[in-house]
Formats: sequence, structure tokens, C-alpha cells
Amino acid sequence: MQIKIKCSCSEESCQEWAIVEIQGAIEIQPSFQNRLDNLDIGQLCRPSSPENYTFTVGYHELAGSKVPLKKPFLVLKKKKTINVEQQSSENDSPGAELEVVGIIRHRILFKTRPKALISKPQPVVKKRASATGSSAPIK
Amino acid sequence: MEQPHSGRRGAEAVLNLQPGSSISVAHHPLFGPHDDLILLELDEKLLPHILHQRVTLRGQPDEDAVLCTPSKTYGIKFVGNSNSVFLIPPSDHSILCEASEDHNGKGHIQQASASVIKVAPGSMELVEVAPRLDKLRLLLSENPYRSGEALQFEDVDGMEKCITGLYTWDDLVDKVQASDEELRTGLMAFSAVEINGYWRIVDEEYMGKLLMALFPSSVLNDWSLNALNEDEVVGALVQDGFPQKLAHHCLSVYGSKVGEGVNGSCLWSLDERRVCVHFAREILRRGKRKMESLMEEWRRKIPEGMQASFDMLEGEVLTEKLGVDLWVRAFSVSALPLTPAERFSVLFKERAKWEWKDLQPYIRDLKVPGLSLEGLLLKYTRRIQPTLDAEPIFSAR
Repeated sequence: MQIKIKCSCSEESCQEWAIVEIQGAIEIQPSFQNRLDNLDIGQLCRPSSPENYTFTVGYHELAGSKVPLKKPFLVLKKKKTINVEQQSSENDSPGAELEVVGIIRHRILFKTRPKALISKPQPVVKKRASATGSSAPIK
Repeated sequence: MEQPHSGRRGAEAVLNLQPGSSISVAHHPLFGPHDDLILLELDEKLLPHILHQRVTLRGQPDEDAVLCTPSKTYGIKFVGNSNSVFLIPPSDHSILCEASEDHNGKGHIQQASASVIKVAPGSMELVEVAPRLDKLRLLLSENPYRSGEALQFEDVDGMEKCITGLYTWDDLVDKVQASDEELRTGLMAFSAVEINGYWRIVDEEYMGKLLMALFPSSVLNDWSLNALNEDEVVGALVQDGFPQKLAHHCLSVYGSKVGEGVNGSCLWSLDERRVCVHFAREILRRGKRKMESLMEEWRRKIPEGMQASFDMLEGEVLTEKLGVDLWVRAFSVSALPLTPAERFSVLFKERAKWEWKDLQPYIRDLKVPGLSLEGLLLKYTRRIQPTLDAEPIFSAR
């Protein structure tokens, strides 16, 4: 069985996607678990100094930088094809297609311990750090 | 810091974020698991193959898929990431619009933030692997071309009957996990030939018949075995009743092209080793022989002008001392598995301990990307060397 990896981007013009990567996971308040669409996560800032970025989620501020990937990532989309004439020959209809929809060459990586900004108001989304024992959420 | 930049919504806003500015990051209106979006880590040098659509995934439903470029094969493994990887598409990403048709207003909300479409659990990584050619040999062995088949194909009914175990190039690409180039190389290594669109291995006895017809013709026509004229040889063999394709195949299996003859026809030289090995194998097919008996019959069988020497049989035979006699039996590396683990398993089943000089001909053809011969030995064998000047002995791990 063969599945061709399709690519409709022309040479060098593959759309570039972005990655923001943090250690740990974000925690959504229970009342918003089912309404994730459009829900704010945080603020990504680039202060004046060249390669530094900050990402503020809830009352945590993370420090990071834009890092080029050692090897680029391709973003592939898997599509199921519905084939009416599937009985005739097994060779032509694998039932799935793969297409390149983008490429990723950089990620904004945050891997330091988050800094707590205690004066900020409690938001809907907060950062759950994997290492620190953060305080319980305040309603 | 400045106000968030409204109107710019996607990856480009994140990647081009200027010093002294900020952007809010939010869940995309269509945020979800999107299991159909996969990240594949790819070496930069493979990118041109992808862009030119020369890359395919190959494998049967019950096999682990491999990724093939025109000339190499890669295993695919999923590597998880415990970090949260927020994936942000470009703002004008059309692929996502297919799903947004159901969401009416949602897809058209002007986002003032960069939108995360999914949190990627990990990515696929590629590891170069050896092509899975054992399966190719298995498929080709299902229906080797034998004597008598030439007649069968003239009869239409006969053709229907022998249609099982026959594979075209496309069938092989469909079933064998190897790149096109590796598949072609594999077919050549197995001395396969394309007959009526099907790739076939020719039964050794039939090849023997072709050779046996070639020699008297060469004597009759006073041909030099080092400068055989392709047209003349093929012509004579066809006269003897052999199909043209197989007459030609005989030359490529036992000889090498050495140039062009007078009338544009190719010149071939028979390879002494390949011819002699053929006759030794023929003798040993009937069972093991005492060394003296083998050498005597072998010398009688080989054509005039050729010399047989025992070292030609390296990688083809094993010897064992039984009493005062040295016995020889067939054990050909060409019949052994191509994957290292299985190869060593078969070798150590045959003999528990191997000296390096005996082992070497049976493993030097093993090719594993990223592993040298020393690496293979380290991985699959235990090496015993009692003293520095003693011969090292290899046994199973």
C-alpha cells in the first residue's frame, strides 16, 4: 500500500507555522472546560532586548527565547478519502491521504521557572507549573 | 509595552513580533484535538523530495509504515513531548476553513490574538533503516520460473493457472517496504528478470540448462568465453528453444559486459567464479560430499579453460571434519535472512561457535544504516579471545 505525501506549496514558499512551547500545562477553570474556542491563554511579549520573550499566563510570567529547530517540522494533514469503487483494486485506494500544510522552523521556548506576579487579578486560565508547588486558586 | 497589535492573527504575527511589542495568545475558534494534524521532523536535505512530491509511505495494514524517498527508507516513530506545544497556524490558513463552514460566525471572528489550533502531544521522527528486502525474496520465491513454463505461456488456460505468486513492478512497490532505487538494486541482487511484465527469479536448474546449451554452441562456433557476441549467443540459445529474455538473462547472471562488438552487438565475458560456483552448487544440491570427491567431480564439470579453486566457494559452503575425512556441504549466504538479528540467529543455529575467517563471508553483506560491521558484532555476538595471538571466536549473545 502506498500513500503519497502531497505538497501543494511551491518551492521555498511552504507556509510557516509557529510553536509556543512551555514546560508543564495550562489549567482551565472548570466552568470554561467546554468553551475553549476563543478563550484567551496569555500574553506574549517581546521586551526591547533582542532575543528575549515573556509569556504571561494567569499570574505566572515565563521567560524564554525564539529558538531555531535543529530539524524543521512539517505539518501534515491526514485526510480520509471515501472511495466508492473500493472493491475493484486494492492498489489505487488506500483510503487516506497525507498533505503538507505547513513547515515549522522556529519555536518560542519557555523553559525557566515561572515567576509569580501576585498582584495580577485571578484570570480564567492559569499556568500550572510542573515543578513549583503553586498556591490554590482563589475564587 | 505597546498595545496588542490588532488584525494580525497567526503564526506570522508571533514569528515577526518586534522588540517592544506584544500579542495575546488565545485558543483558536476551532481549537481541538485535530488528530489529523501531525508534526513530522524532517532533515533539511529531505525537504526537496517532499516539495516535489517524491515521498511516499509504504506498508501493508499489518506492518509499521515506512517513509520512502526515491532512494532511501526510513522507519517512523512517534516521540511524545511532555511540554505543552501550542501550534499556531498562519492567519490565512485555508485548510481550517473546511471545518469552519459549519461554525458560521465563529470562523469569521476577527482575532486580535495569535490563535492556537491544538496542543501537539509529540511528533514523528524518522530513522534511516535498511529496506525490507527479505519480503521481496519471499514473494519472488513463490513462483520461480522453471523449465516447461515457456510452453505453458503459449497456452492461455495455462497462463491463468500459473497467475498466483506473480508480481509486477507495481505489485512489488505496493507490497515491499523499500524505496524504488533499493527495490531495483534488490531485484538485481536476486538476479531477477522481468518476463511478460512479471518479475521472476529463475530456478537454478533452468539456469543450468541455459549454461549447458551455451558451452557446446561456443565450442561449435569457436566463440571465446571472454568475448561472447550477445546477438550470436542469444540467437543460438533461441534456436535451442529458449525464450530470448532468458537467453539474455543467462549472460547477465554468469557474465559481464565488456564492450561493443563489430556490428553494435554487446560483448560479454563469462565470469569464471560465477560459472564454477554454479557447478559446485549443482553437485552439492544432491547432498554433502567428501572434499576429494567434490573437487574431482567439480573439475570434470567446469568448461574447458576454466580453473576451479576451493576459495571460490567462500560464503557458499561449510566444511566439517568427520573422522579423518573433510566433508563439504552447501550453505549459501544468498539464502540467509537479510536482517542482522535473524541472520545471526540462523548462523548460530548452524554452528555455535565461529572463527572470524569462517564468519566473515556470511556477514559482510549485512548493511544497517548507522552500524558498522564491528558494531554489528558487538550487538549480536559474544567474542572470546583467550590470548592476544589466538583466533577470536564468536558465539551467540
